[in-house]
Amino acid sequence: MKLALLLLALAGPAAAQQADAGVQDKELQKELEKAIQADKAAAQQQGQGQGQAAPAAPPAATTASTGGAPQTLFRGAQSLNPDFSVILDGNFGYQRRAPQYLSGDDPDLHAQDTQHALGFAVQEVELAFSAIVDPYFKGEVYLTIPNLDGIEVEEAFATTTSLPWNLQIKAGSFRGAFGRQNGQHLHVQDFTRRPLINAAFLGADGMRGPGVQVSWLSPLPFYLTLSGEAFSLSGGPADQSGPIPQPVPSFGADQSTHPTLATEAKAFFPLGDAWSFFWGLSFASGRSPGMLLAGGTPSGAGRDSQLYGTDVYLKWKPPNVAQGYESLALQAEFILRRLSSGDGIDGEWDGGGYAQIVAQFARRWFLGLRGDIVGVPSSSVLARTERIGASLTFQASEFSRIRAYLEAEHAGGMSALLPQAMPDWAPAAFLQLEYSIGAHGAHPY
Amino acid sequence: MVALLAVLHVVSSIPTLGSLAKEVGKDRIEVESLGKGYQDPHFVEPKPSLMLVLNRADLLLHVGLELEIGWLPPLVLGSRNAKIQPGELGNLDCSRAIPVLDVPTTKVDRSMGDIHPQGNPHYWLPPGNARIIAREIAQRLAQLDPDGKAEYEKNLSAFEAKVDAKSKDWTALAAKLKGVKVATYHKSWSYMSQWLGLEEIGYVEPKPGIPPDPQHLSRLIAAMKQDGAKLLLMEDFYNKSVATLVAGKAGAKLLDLPTDVGARPEIKDWFTLVDTVVKTLSSAV
Repeated sequence: MKLALLLLALAGPAAAQQADAGVQDKELQKELEKAIQADKAAAQQQGQGQGQAAPAAPPAATTASTGGAPQTLFRGAQSLNPDFSVILDGNFGYQRRAPQYLSGDDPDLHAQDTQHALGFAVQEVELAFSAIVDPYFKGEVYLTIPNLDGIEVEEAFATTTSLPWNLQIKAGSFRGAFGRQNGQHLHVQDFTRRPLINAAFLGADGMRGPGVQVSWLSPLPFYLTLSGEAFSLSGGPADQSGPIPQPVPSFGADQSTHPTLATEAKAFFPLGDAWSFFWGLSFASGRSPGMLLAGGTPSGAGRDSQLYGTDVYLKWKPPNVAQGYESLALQAEFILRRLSSGDGIDGEWDGGGYAQIVAQFARRWFLGLRGDIVGVPSSSVLARTERIGASLTFQASEFSRIRAYLEAEHAGGMSALLPQAMPDWAPAAFLQLEYSIGAHGAHPY
Repeated sequence: MVALLAVLHVVSSIPTLGSLAKEVGKDRIEVESLGKGYQDPHFVEPKPSLMLVLNRADLLLHVGLELEIGWLPPLVLGSRNAKIQPGELGNLDCSRAIPVLDVPTTKVDRSMGDIHPQGNPHYWLPPGNARIIAREIAQRLAQLDPDGKAEYEKNLSAFEAKVDAKSKDWTALAAKLKGVKVATYHKSWSYMSQWLGLEEIGYVEPKPGIPPDPQHLSRLIAAMKQDGAKLLLMEDFYNKSVATLVAGKAGAKLLDLPTDVGARPEIKDWFTLVDTVVKTLSSAV
């Protein structure tokens, strides 16, 4: 509540200041601001602070059309309910063995460690709610049920809409700004499974949790945003008692005393009408909870952990389809991790990344190829894993798609501490159905 | 007060709205558009560079009726511009006073395609609607820039007089279009058909946004032949291959028409846009 009041105090005068471009007179503006502040102070003294603070927004903003709007009555039911939609991802699939580095919203067929699985999975049910809260905030809540395994809050946050100086604050629980795929929900991914770097470095559910983000749009002639985030991430050590190595979380140890910090820069360059280039640099810092070796021996808890990432997205899409429906998108992300020495283990660098290309070769058809690698050059907490994947997507409409996905995962050089996945080559195949019902979504670039 | 150059920076979702704003704002405003005239306004790529354009805006003009729902909202939020957020003075939904057509009267769902539950958003061509849009814009400009009120009103009157004069020419040209049966690609010609008296007998898209299947097309060709539909109207940002085939089989003429300012280099404002459409239509019958 204190934060909200602080924001109101910031936003009120700023909004009033900006809304009236016609008010040229600086002195008049100052006088108006003073009057607004005085009104607020008086209202607070009378104990009506909350009721009276809101009208600090420009009153003219609510002025109705004077153009005469005879049609407003039959324009569909007006409602103040949030926009609501449900997204379903269902799969039929085969896996040779349990995959390494399974992300939370990857389809889980519950394959045994050395035995195949064949069957069905409801990869995710997502419930999305969003609405403008008031003249100061937009609210978004995304609940997810991955693999029918209980309901989770994927994201629930507020975004400010009226801060001055090109600032925006996001607060609540949300996906962190670190690279490209971490911020994305499952249904905007081009493949059935997330890239390996997600579970390997950012956490099975990605880097997400309660926190706050401040971002700034620079006034440069090209698009550049800088953001800073702090999260209270939680997480226990990875259990390595089975024959499949589990992802050792980079962050989440000492949750109550050590927040995870992240920062990112994103730049965008339109290269003519059809080409565009999006580039990001990210950094995150926290403390790793380590892992439990076979027999329950803890190892590597409390090592400081830093992630350095970069991501590129190069897209070609002509602005109209008069010549055809083709488009092409190239996307790649790389992460390097520094783990400090601690718990008797030396400091080390490990890393990984992926590169993918997605080609739209007909109006409703997309073909994608992706290569993944993690655990390079070597790692004591991350088994070297390579994967190649291909997806063929038929997009029936904006609201449904069917995707065939094939992958082959190779569990390569193991560290001495980690179990060895067998067989080392494991193919998998999925047929995925995805749909969205309810409000028409809009996704960021 | 010193006369200022470009008091307000106006950003429009489609170029035609910006062009209408320029008619009433003249030198007091500068205008920029997010979408291009040769682009399908349903599917503008939400490039982050457009947030930068919106960041500098004093006024955002959009078509509304959910035409831009798939791309505009994240850009407006990401613009970090308090002035143009929904509900603020700097955010004008230009459909507010338009007598909207094709408003569904029964319960809708997406088995009907990508429908617009609030009605048909392709309303900006007919002179009557352009007058309404220009008046809405003039009022909003005057609220944002009270010093320019008299000028906006004067420009609006001049625009309206010019529209009325041109309308007479267009009505004369289009007299022979009354009752002419046409097929269209997307259901986006309702307002023009109402204005010019065209009779729409079918659509290449079986449902809005859904690509045609052979059965639907053969039915459409049969219907066009039976009803004597001699014209097939299509926006020039769509792929022509299917429409060319349908027009050929039905013995009709395919008219590849601009629907937005900037659709072709020579279409520089709303007047040349409507002029081109009306002349192309009337010379085709």
